[in-house]
Amino acid sequence: MESKIGVFLCNCGGVINNIDFDAAVKRVTKFPSVTYVNLSSNLCLEEGKEKMISCIREENIERVVVAACSPEFNEHIFREVLEKAGLNGHFLSMANIREQCSWAHDGDVTMKAVELVKMAINRVRLLQPIEKKELPVSREVLVVGGGFTAISTALQLSRVGLRTTLLEKEAVLGTRAEELESFYGFDTSAMISTVEGDENVEVLTSAEMTEVVGKIGDFSVRIRKGEEEIFRKYGAIILATGYQTELALAPEPRLRTEEEAIYGINIVSQEQFCSMLRNSSLETEPKTIGFMFDFSDGNSRFPTLATLNNALAAKKKWGSEIYVFYKSVKVDSEGMEKLYQEARNCGVVFIKSDITPRITGESGRVTIEAKDVFLGEDIMVACDVLVAEELYLPGEGTEKLSSLLNIRVDSRSFYQDANVHLYPVTSEKKGIFLIGECRGDLDLRRVLTDISSVVMNVHGLLSLGKILVESERVKADPQKCVACLTCIRVCPHDAIQLVRVDGSKEVAGISDPACYACGICAAICPAKAIKFQGYRDEEILAQIEAIGESLKGRNVAFCCEHSAYPAADLAGKLRIHYPETLRILRVPCAGQVDVYHILKAFEKGATAVLVLGCEEGACHHITGNTRAKERVEYCNILLKEANVDGRRAAMFNLSPNAPHKFVRVVNEMDKKVKESGR
Amino acid sequence: MIIAERKPIAEIKQLIAPYKKVLVAGCGTCVTVCWAGGEKEVAMLASQLRLARNAEGSEISVLETTVERQCEREMVAEIKDKVAEVEAVLSLACGSGVQTMAEMFEDKPVLPAVNTTFIGMPEKEGLWVEMCGACGDCFLDRTGGICPIVRCAKGLLNGPCGGTRRGGKCEIDPEKDCAWVLIYRRLEKQGRLDLMRNYYPPKNYRAVKRPGKVQAVKA
Repeated sequence: MESKIGVFLCNCGGVINNIDFDAAVKRVTKFPSVTYVNLSSNLCLEEGKEKMISCIREENIERVVVAACSPEFNEHIFREVLEKAGLNGHFLSMANIREQCSWAHDGDVTMKAVELVKMAINRVRLLQPIEKKELPVSREVLVVGGGFTAISTALQLSRVGLRTTLLEKEAVLGTRAEELESFYGFDTSAMISTVEGDENVEVLTSAEMTEVVGKIGDFSVRIRKGEEEIFRKYGAIILATGYQTELALAPEPRLRTEEEAIYGINIVSQEQFCSMLRNSSLETEPKTIGFMFDFSDGNSRFPTLATLNNALAAKKKWGSEIYVFYKSVKVDSEGMEKLYQEARNCGVVFIKSDITPRITGESGRVTIEAKDVFLGEDIMVACDVLVAEELYLPGEGTEKLSSLLNIRVDSRSFYQDANVHLYPVTSEKKGIFLIGECRGDLDLRRVLTDISSVVMNVHGLLSLGKILVESERVKADPQKCVACLTCIRVCPHDAIQLVRVDGSKEVAGISDPACYACGICAAICPAKAIKFQGYRDEEILAQIEAIGESLKGRNVAFCCEHSAYPAADLAGKLRIHYPETLRILRVPCAGQVDVYHILKAFEKGATAVLVLGCEEGACHHITGNTRAKERVEYCNILLKEANVDGRRAAMFNLSPNAPHKFVRVVNEMDKKVKESGR
Repeated sequence: MIIAERKPIAEIKQLIAPYKKVLVAGCGTCVTVCWAGGEKEVAMLASQLRLARNAEGSEISVLETTVERQCEREMVAEIKDKVAEVEAVLSLACGSGVQTMAEMFEDKPVLPAVNTTFIGMPEKEGLWVEMCGACGDCFLDRTGGICPIVRCAKGLLNGPCGGTRRGGKCEIDPEKDCAWVLIYRRLEKQGRLDLMRNYYPPKNYRAVKRPGKVQAVKA
């Protein structure tokens, strides 16, 4: 028997004023299975919600359609209402009659509103319940790295009661900590002894991770420490593997001993210069010192800091003449501007040059030749010591670790791309966090923010020893799955693996806690075995079906809920109008849109289909928008093959704050359709 | 696994041109795994055919089904009611599946919608490569588990030829690895390079008795 559907319309305190609600109620009442229709003006307020709960109970409503504002705002509130009324929170479908109907168009839009309600009704009757379940999680945390960031994190986690293993590949902790000591005045040796004495922290040095399996809350990690092999379970893994530096000057023959410019003697790294500064029995104090930075690598926040600190220290200790050659000084970190001013005031000479200075050796000294941008003249300085430019690189072993954990690195091989949709310390895999310098050029303030952020994240995740997850929201039907491994290969979050069902057949098993519910797997499954609740074929097609006979002349847009959907809402809010013929389907990611869905929309008579996803490189699910682009291209090949009269799908990338772009692409599509006379 | 590729739509359209009602029948085994003929491909092809026919203004009704294994009579028998409804069947199975269907429904044309290409494996998502020529006289013990019959462009049993390119690539196609370089490297790893000295006489392809038949020893 069909479920009883209740439709709750809301005029939003009267702001939705171009819909004839009485007429709409009359139309909606006639739709099949709709047993109750109510018009409210304040559905999202306490009064409205209470009324809704009592209506659901009294009228024995089993499924609910809310026709009101955008689901972006209130979907979660209405889900709670359903739960309070004793229904599964997922028996809800919303018709966005405010932002994407009333506000988006001029004049009376009652017909469109009714059609949007019909789409929601068609969808809601097919929805299946999603239950929540508790899963146990390990309260142990693995922190990879043994530097300041890793140690601080372990100490803070210990303070909130989580046990940590500190995994360091070197024989001792804090091999680079001396730099911090001289730059920031930290007592790192005290930190190291505190962490070594902390009963909540297990320190494993000369050890490395060799295998990681499992998902968030339940990672099984194999660690090798010398001959010994250790096997542990962790709820979360934090990478704090830091950075390393390399001299940017490649050793060239003309700098060999005969000309007396020697690496490690009078051409040194910042680290070597630090130890010169600490050395109280230096034979001769350098009278003239040169520094270089920002020529080979523009990401020079840290080298700049090192230069300014070391230049000041040398000035104070030896009173040397100091010349700093640079392309540009990056002083965007806290305190850097002050440090730069201090250096200038002390008499450090800054020489801006657009090209990398020429370095030669002459009678025991290093000659630096450059063209000063401000003077417009060639400058030559002979120094006792040159602190050469350093390249700032990811920590040793980053590549190995990233492939072990299946985590991407950016173009410079640091962890994590600059993707606006990923929070700074989270990776694309749930339960794996990236903090500090291993993410690239961070200063101390940013590192400290990372540490607090990861501690809060991990504490929230593991402190109770259990997490609440939605059960089987995305699931491969074991009867239909042919174990082709496609989903496992495409999942951007590494949430799928082969599992045995009934002790024999191997099928794709989607981990509930690790799954982000993006739907990329469901859209590619060649056996159509993967069901994504709320976005199953039936549910998508039912919405397209609802546009029905009137689909002729309609354009359909599949809008990613992270970008295009909020952009469309914003267009409504700003009253930037677009054609009324557009029908928007909200999807969790552009990568969820199946070629089949697009073909179906055309089959039902849509004049144009748009797939709108996030900007390139900014997909919440990493590959969703690029896959969407490929699928739309493929779909167009299929349409062309079928000789379909010029109707084509199109994919555009936009960000959630781009209502103008949204309206532009929609209008362009509409114009094209009209020009072709359909 | 058997790998297949969908035929060009123009050819498929021609195949079904005389019929007003067809059944698009997928197979849930090999061709599903290689994205050529599973439930999803069935749905897409059916949709594409409807669109094509609509565009041309001719009527067609396209039914859809997917059989777990089209090369099994018992499984094919399960769709007999659907087949009874249509004028022709468009099968997305391998040649073996098409023939099983054709044999089961002798009164109906069963038309192939895919080209069965080879026995192979996925190299990565969406890319399959040929691994086995089903020659009936396996040679892999002598070549470190790499088949020169299908992976060498010339099918040489005694390779490499003189045309190996720098970097171990094939002279026929610089994108492809020379199978005999791969074989050499593999045997080297196993300490069995002496096998390279062996000369193998021309292979007895008569081991493949056409049509092939394999009789399992009865338990």
